[in-house]
Amino acid sequence: MSTGTMSPYQSGQRPGRDDFPHLLRAEWTKFRTVRGWVIAMVAAAVLTGLAVVALAGIGGGQQNPGAHPVAAIGPGGQAVTDHFYFVRQSLAGHGSITVRVTSLADNELPGQGLPAHYLPAQPWAKAGIIIKAGTKPGSAYAAVMVTPGHGVRMQYDFTHDAAGLAGPVSAASPRWLRLTRSGDTVTGYDSADGTHWAEIGTARLAGLPATAQAGLFAASPQYLQAVQQFANNNNAFYDTQATAAFDHVRLTGGQPGGAWRGGVIGFPTGPGGQRDISRCGPSGQDCRKIGSAPAARFSQAAGRFTLSDSGGDIAPYITDVDPLGLVLKGSLIGLIAVIALGAMFITAEYRRGLIRTTFSASPRRGRVLAAKAVVIGSATFVAGLVGAAIAVPIAERKLHAGGWVSSVFPVWSLTSGHGLQIVLGTAALLAVAAVLALCAGAVLRSSAGAITAGVVVLIVPLLLAVVLPQGPGDWLLRLTPAAAFGLQQGTPHYSQVMSFCQPYNGCFPLSPWYGFAVLCVWAAAGLALATYLLRRRDA
Amino acid sequence: MTRALSAGGAPLRGAALLRGAAPLRGATPLREAVHAEWTKLRTVPSTGWLLLTAIVLTAGVGALTTTAEKCPASCGADPTKLSLTGILPGQAAIAVLAVLVMTSEYSSGMIRITLTAVPRRATAMAAKAIILSGVVLTAGTVAVLASVLAGRLILPGNGFSAAHGFAALSLGNGPTLRAAAGSVLYLGLIALFSLGLGTALRDSGASIAVILSLLYIVPLLSDLGVLAPAWKHRLQEYGPATAGLAIQATRNLPKLPIGPWPGLGVLAAWTAAALLAGGLLLRLRDV
Repeated sequence: MSTGTMSPYQSGQRPGRDDFPHLLRAEWTKFRTVRGWVIAMVAAAVLTGLAVVALAGIGGGQQNPGAHPVAAIGPGGQAVTDHFYFVRQSLAGHGSITVRVTSLADNELPGQGLPAHYLPAQPWAKAGIIIKAGTKPGSAYAAVMVTPGHGVRMQYDFTHDAAGLAGPVSAASPRWLRLTRSGDTVTGYDSADGTHWAEIGTARLAGLPATAQAGLFAASPQYLQAVQQFANNNNAFYDTQATAAFDHVRLTGGQPGGAWRGGVIGFPTGPGGQRDISRCGPSGQDCRKIGSAPAARFSQAAGRFTLSDSGGDIAPYITDVDPLGLVLKGSLIGLIAVIALGAMFITAEYRRGLIRTTFSASPRRGRVLAAKAVVIGSATFVAGLVGAAIAVPIAERKLHAGGWVSSVFPVWSLTSGHGLQIVLGTAALLAVAAVLALCAGAVLRSSAGAITAGVVVLIVPLLLAVVLPQGPGDWLLRLTPAAAFGLQQGTPHYSQVMSFCQPYNGCFPLSPWYGFAVLCVWAAAGLALATYLLRRRDA
Repeated sequence: MTRALSAGGAPLRGAALLRGAAPLRGATPLREAVHAEWTKLRTVPSTGWLLLTAIVLTAGVGALTTTAEKCPASCGADPTKLSLTGILPGQAAIAVLAVLVMTSEYSSGMIRITLTAVPRRATAMAAKAIILSGVVLTAGTVAVLASVLAGRLILPGNGFSAAHGFAALSLGNGPTLRAAAGSVLYLGLIALFSLGLGTALRDSGASIAVILSLLYIVPLLSDLGVLAPAWKHRLQEYGPATAGLAIQATRNLPKLPIGPWPGLGVLAAWTAAALLAGGLLLRLRDV
């Protein structure tokens, strides 16, 4: 009798598939079929929107529309400071201006009652040459200048700034500066010896008239000193005075026999002019005004020009308070919900024992974690995007109606670069925070522990940064994932303008996308640690 | 004879049957319930870790803050409050501990055993509250004493010296003692508040999210430069953490939105409300 070979039992079912798309689908199914999670995610978006709009509604009462005596509106439509001492001639068509700067002295005006160790030099005082569309404040310009703290710079149309030769200027180490104009293009050069020239940059000034104004200028912004203590601002403003000496002045393309005329452009927002009360904090303010500034001066003798100015600047007008960035902190309420969801997306599996099923079906644990991260991150991103895209325009309109004038506190359209940064940034910040919370959940395997860890690294630094002195507070906002909240700043900051950058007022020490990178580094480290522990530990 | 046996005026039948078999107590005395809770709490490893975290965060952040704060000339800083800054992060660990005392029993199913052993739910909850308060007040005392000691040692070197009008921190000073003892009480109240909320919500994730919102987001929003002063004042006066931490102030008391003891009173009211809500829900709901 022959015995047939018995083949071992084989299930008729196809083997389970754990390739990545199927993993994603499995995790997405887990997420969308838990009603509480879906409700919490929608609630996070709705709460974020409501909190932002509500804060905008109650945040309007503090400043009246007349609080910002803005001197001028720049070519880009933004508020600018355009006040300086200008020694000029007309420049028709093509031409160039060349000078040698032999000194730039900057010090604070006497009589402000400062103790010796407060004596500041304004690093952004400036003196140099400029070609400007006209004498109207806010008109287009391009300038090359020396500064006490930042070497030679080429700046144009208020927001653009490029570096030239480094180091301060002195009689032993003078700086040669040159601007050439061809049509509406202005090119800036600098040189240490007057023979070897280097190009710093080129500016296209839209609408530069055929006859422009060219000449020498000096400007000396106020020196700001900030002290932050337990959420109280104690900010001081000191008037400074810059005096610069020029020689070897050569203008080509000017009118024959033209003489140099000196005069002040714009009106000051500093000493002797309208007091810029936006620079006074809401509490503990110190809008110091002691002594009076001497009138700007100009002298010309034997080819030597001396200019001095006090209180002027050619720069974007920057406010200390960032109302939009501050009301966007309402998204912290949504953030807590998102942290809770991210953490529970994995801790709930540990609690119910589902994690064992998950890992049996898909033994490659790193990929399970990756699939979870993609699902929770994408769901959060979409919810955050919808919430922010609806809330931000409403909040801007409310702030605007509440007295935050739109020339100073711009209303960003959602399609503009900065508007996109705010809305996409908020969504991205929430999404990566959810991934970080997921990693905390995988590491700690406890909902309460993981949520608290998420809150301690993401939210507590924001609170401590307000409470601590500014030095360590700024370091917290550089090193912890809370740095990413810089993405929500509604007021752009320019490094060429000295301004108070305080967490209290919604300012962050790192630039927005660097701050976001810090959060991403934390999330990447979290994913690595979680993957390692998931592989090493029993489920 | 205990109350349960004579309920309704006549001895219960079951009780009568049992009487001969074993001494029956109708309700577990609070003392034994407390003992049971103590056993549960001290045999879980997370308790020790969380308390240690609370102490290290409180004293560590307090010491770092006092190291960072300088007083070159006269300054308006409040050295006591400065030394006790660490309570801000430290309270998170206390909140987690307190929430877990109740919610971990719901997630593991242990609550059914607990309430079978101690059927009077008020007693069960009181036992948890007593043990939790004792543990948190002890750890809080250690954390606060360490913070004050760090401040006493570090601050004079940073310019908070007699020359600038600052005496070294000392518990012999009335306001400093009030701030230190008040901070310990603050941690105790936060723990009981968290216990009440955890009992009401039964889920550790949801409870901790709500508590941390109240502890961190309300103070953050009330500190922002954008808020109208009236709203700022309102949030600081009625928020559990902002009002409660007024107990730490020792300078410029008239300028505070709310006084030290009334502030702690506001937190106590939040705590009472949470405990009451948790207790009522525990009594009314099935396990």
